[in-house]
Amino acid sequence: MLEIKNLHSGYNKIEVLHDINIKVPDGKIVVVIGRNGAGKSTLLNTISGLVKIKSGSIEMNGQKIPSAPHKIVASGIIQVPEGRRIFPSLTIAENLIMGGYLASNAEMNVRKEEVYNTFPILCQRENQQAGTLSGGEQQMLAMGRGMMAGPKILLLDEPSLGLAPLVFTQVFELIIKLNKERNMTIILVEQNATIALKMADYAYVLENGCVVIEGPGEELIKDARVKAAYLGAAVKTLKEPSPREYLE
Amino acid sequence: MGVPMQFSIILQQVVNGLSLGAVYALIAVGFALIFNVLKFSNFAHGGVLGISAYAGYIAANQFKLPLIPVILVGMVTGAILAVLVELIAFRWIRLQKGQLVYFFVTSVTMLMLLEQVLIIRFGASFESYPYTLVKVRVLQFGDVTISVTYLLSLISTIIAFSGLIYVLKKTKIGIAIRAASNDLTATSLMGINVNMVIIAAFIVSGMLGGLSGVLYGISASLSPQIGQIVVKGFIASVLGGLGSLTGVAVAAVVLGVLEVFLISTIGSGLSPVVIFLLMVVFLLVRPHGFAGVSFSDKA
Ligand SMILES: Nc1ncnc2c1ncn2[C@@H]1O[C@H](COP(=O)(O)OP(=O)(O)O)[C@@H](O)[C@H]1O
Ligand SMILES: [Mg+2]
Repeated sequence: MLEIKNLHSGYNKIEVLHDINIKVPDGKIVVVIGRNGAGKSTLLNTISGLVKIKSGSIEMNGQKIPSAPHKIVASGIIQVPEGRRIFPSLTIAENLIMGGYLASNAEMNVRKEEVYNTFPILCQRENQQAGTLSGGEQQMLAMGRGMMAGPKILLLDEPSLGLAPLVFTQVFELIIKLNKERNMTIILVEQNATIALKMADYAYVLENGCVVIEGPGEELIKDARVKAAYLGAAVKTLKEPSPREYLE
Repeated sequence: MGVPMQFSIILQQVVNGLSLGAVYALIAVGFALIFNVLKFSNFAHGGVLGISAYAGYIAANQFKLPLIPVILVGMVTGAILAVLVELIAFRWIRLQKGQLVYFFVTSVTMLMLLEQVLIIRFGASFESYPYTLVKVRVLQFGDVTISVTYLLSLISTIIAFSGLIYVLKKTKIGIAIRAASNDLTATSLMGINVNMVIIAAFIVSGMLGGLSGVLYGISASLSPQIGQIVVKGFIASVLGGLGSLTGVAVAAVVLGVLEVFLISTIGSGLSPVVIFLLMVVFLLVRPHGFAGVSFSDKA
């Protein structure tokens, strides 16, 4: 269980997040939606230790999480950042090695095998520079790199951004698979609210750095305010099949 | 006889140029390593190089150590000094999230400080490594005379770069240094302690700097201003397109060969002028350097 209590955080003198309270039970998918600039990435980066906590706390199983980013990763909280941020001049294999930096060689080999099974294209291009991959392939690599760390809690920052429908489906299928088969806890940040809310066990709506609405995913989809603000335009343009429907 | 004479002179010049270029390559790659990770031009590298050159000199002159231990003394000194510079000067600025210009100014200050240490200790005079350090001074191939100290520079550089390539390609920490060069923040998201990676980069850079200092000292001479050859490393780094270490090394070798030829044709007064002009023209034509590749963001 990850618990964010009365969290305030931001950059230098600017406070971006105000009094955030979020609970992420083990094995659940928790979704955070919100417009550009609402503070979604700041939230994930605060959890990852990249943005300093001003006050409040983040606890895992009742214990405060460490403050250094690399120690947070060591405690099992892994972020797949916005914009993928793969290492462009490293090969795909080297990117995966970096993802599994803290893993033993044996774990590394098993996980690499898994990543390659999930995304065969990465295996074919193993020794190619990651910067030469297409955007969708880079997202696959970013996900794969995250899997290499063996996360207990996986933080995903807008994984659907700019993806073609096919890759989009593949990425969301993987998220659901990791959650169902591995019992991996997921915090998913999305602008693409329709799909995200469908897969959410619980969801939060962030506006100007505050949680303004929260509730189980299905409830939020029906919520009039959410519909008006986040689903209205999106529903019309979204043609992608819902991954849940796709799987079942 | 005229033609073979000329050929042999040219060949000697090529070897001289390559060996000078090799030393420049060591300097430039050590310089570029830090630039790649921390994104500022670390002129303190010259100070590290200078002190290491003198450390090697003391090891040879006072402690009468043979060649290889002398080289090792230079490399170890370079590594320790580079780490101290990072811990004392740069880390603090980083923790304050200081702007790049502070790093730059600090690095120049460190260069002058370290240079001053040498001036205080050794005065403004020139010193040389003991002549006996390299016992056989020249090799004769028919008409061609090759200086062994120059060969030493070449061979040491090749060995050092082989080691460097191995570390950067085959070891986790080496790959992490390259990852950090791409994206320091993303590196920390891999569970990597970026402070350790930065220290590792300074160790590697300092070893290369120490080696270049000793080699330069052996094949030329020592003065407290020796650290200023870091400018050559800087030029080569820029020409090579900082991001690519291979590009930087190639540019440095080209620079060394060019310099030797310019000095023998137009003299040592004009040579730097021509080199700076060439650098400006080259950068106008190829702003990203020889090997400049940049990966654009993909949607
Ligand atoms: N590095 C930064 N320094 C200062 N302000 C920032 C920084 N990153 C983001 N912000 C500000 O924080 C707010 C929230 O940004 P962000 O968390 O990126 O939003 P979202 O991910 O929801 O689009 C914005 O007003 C943004 O301008
Ligand atoms: Mg964001």
